[in-house]
Amino acid sequence: MKTLLRVAALSAWNRRGTLLLVVLSIALATALLLTLERLRTDIRASFLQAVSGTDLVVGARTGPVQLMLYAVFRVGGATNNIRMDSVQAIAEHRAVAWVVPLALGDSHRGFPVLGTTPAYFQHFRYGEQQPLELSAGQPFAGNLDGLYEAVLGAEVADRLGYGLGQRITLSHGLAPQAGALAAEHDDKPFTVVGVLARTGTPVDRTVHVSLQAIEAIHLDWVGGAPLPGLRISAENARKFSLEPKQVTAALVGLKGRAAVFNVQRFVNGYEAEPLLAVLPGVALDELWEAVGIGEQALLAMSGLVALVSLAGLVAVVLAGLNERRRELAVLRAVGAGPRQVLFLLAAEGAMVTASGALLGALAAAAGVLLAGPAVQARFGVALAWGAPTAMQWALFAAVLGAGMLAALVPGWRAYRLSLADGLSPRT
Amino acid sequence: MLHIEGLRFAWPGAQELTLDIAHLHIDAGRAVFLHGPSGCGKSTLLSLLAGVLVAGPGQVRLAGQDWAALSPARRDARRAADLGVIFQQFNLLPYLSVLDNVLLPTRFSAARAQRCPEGPLAAARQLLARVSLPQALWTQRADTLSVGQQQRVAAARALLGRPSLVIADEPTSALDAALRDNFMALLMGECRVAGSTLVFVSHDERLAGHFDERVSLPDINRAALHQTTSALA
Repeated sequence: MKTLLRVAALSAWNRRGTLLLVVLSIALATALLLTLERLRTDIRASFLQAVSGTDLVVGARTGPVQLMLYAVFRVGGATNNIRMDSVQAIAEHRAVAWVVPLALGDSHRGFPVLGTTPAYFQHFRYGEQQPLELSAGQPFAGNLDGLYEAVLGAEVADRLGYGLGQRITLSHGLAPQAGALAAEHDDKPFTVVGVLARTGTPVDRTVHVSLQAIEAIHLDWVGGAPLPGLRISAENARKFSLEPKQVTAALVGLKGRAAVFNVQRFVNGYEAEPLLAVLPGVALDELWEAVGIGEQALLAMSGLVALVSLAGLVAVVLAGLNERRRELAVLRAVGAGPRQVLFLLAAEGAMVTASGALLGALAAAAGVLLAGPAVQARFGVALAWGAPTAMQWALFAAVLGAGMLAALVPGWRAYRLSLADGLSPRT
Repeated sequence: MLHIEGLRFAWPGAQELTLDIAHLHIDAGRAVFLHGPSGCGKSTLLSLLAGVLVAGPGQVRLAGQDWAALSPARRDARRAADLGVIFQQFNLLPYLSVLDNVLLPTRFSAARAQRCPEGPLAAARQLLARVSLPQALWTQRADTLSVGQQQRVAAARALLGRPSLVIADEPTSALDAALRDNFMALLMGECRVAGSTLVFVSHDERLAGHFDERVSLPDINRAALHQTTSALA
């Protein structure tokens, strides 16, 4: 046994040129599988943790998934707004603890602008009930003095290089292209008063201003364009009523979880206006199932890559077998049985697979470690590089197992050859 | 020592018999020269003597024990314990050292190792010294040796642990005349010292003078008359 393993190792080392290619291809496939699985787990985690501590998300009647997409992920637009008095009615429900209205629709250099109240910074939670924290400055004041104040998500500040005191103007509509005929609210510039700490959620990509500010910059606008001939200066805007009539959606927190279905029924059956209330957890799960298909396809694809590289292992070892018939005959002559020949080939396959899989796992770990900060900065996904997940262990074991099974193919061929060849290979 | 009775053998899928030998007997300790032209079944006979192939009808007995009566695993164990084999060339595993190559049989067979009273490693060193292989080469990779040196290492390996039977399949065909005579003298001498029976196959009848006994395979092989070109030497 020990002799056979030694012979297998030395024999493989003797053919290391070809086998190294196989090892590398298995390593690549393993790294791909493990990295994808890590990405999948972490993206899912940061996706499902985009909002927490909110019991209901309320918006105009549409699909739950669509409501989550625009209210939480700032993807796509709302079909309809909801009236502020509806939001007020919900806030007055006896089971409701707080309501944070959200007004979307403007942007700054491709980043969505969210109009809300200072309560947002107090009540919004993400991840494991983590509150928002400011890395610099303070929340906007939410009164007339601080009308043109903005608080940036970490990503916005990093990407655009903004700090406190930066003057910015908002664009009308979502994500206008640079240089395009974007309608700018350039008559009412904002000042950055706060920058939020990184959360790994869509908050990082959001510019936060007060609801009144959203009203103010649209005072002289109708239907997405400035009214010709009407100009209301930033200063004069303060003289108008800036109480919003409409918002896009609202986050609702309850006094106790038990009332959640009660309040949901109340909102969904609200008579003055068709509304929809969704439980964020349920809707996020539903949303993930919709977007999760692509990621499953990716995983299946890398599984196929692993199969192809194992097929490469079989092909390379099989192709080399003919040149090794002398070697096998020598082993037979000194007393190795056909079963030991099979073991020799299987051991070689196992060693090649194991080194490939280990190399791949190391590469995957190194990749996550090295690329982690960049991925976090660019996509807001925190990659964990700690202990492998159960699924990663399973994938690693699957590669090893499949490799050992695959190695039985040339092993079996060698077994047949050594039976048929007798002492001298009939080449 | 070696006894063949009513042996008939055909390769799987072949129409005709390769070997059909009524009777062959070789006494213990003899050196036998088995000759015949290429393709007459010499190598097949050696595989049968070594128990790598098993005869259909008939018996091939080594020290009274019929190979066919043993299980495949027992045949492998017996071969490791009682046989030394020398091929025409490429006897050695190129990636092992000379010493490791010589020690291979003792690694596969405890019985073989036990028959080295001084221990396998010491026995291997002695044999390498006796076949005049320079000590500097012992720890080198086997494929750094010349063909003549490799054949001498193969002889040392075949003789390690005093196997009762040594089988040599044209071991001198890759050697030039001077090396050949040197190798023959060495092999004959060492077999005599070890007390091993030697079955030496060659088509080169000039070598016959070294042996106690000569057997012409075509003379005893009744299948020889029906040989086809597809039969293998």
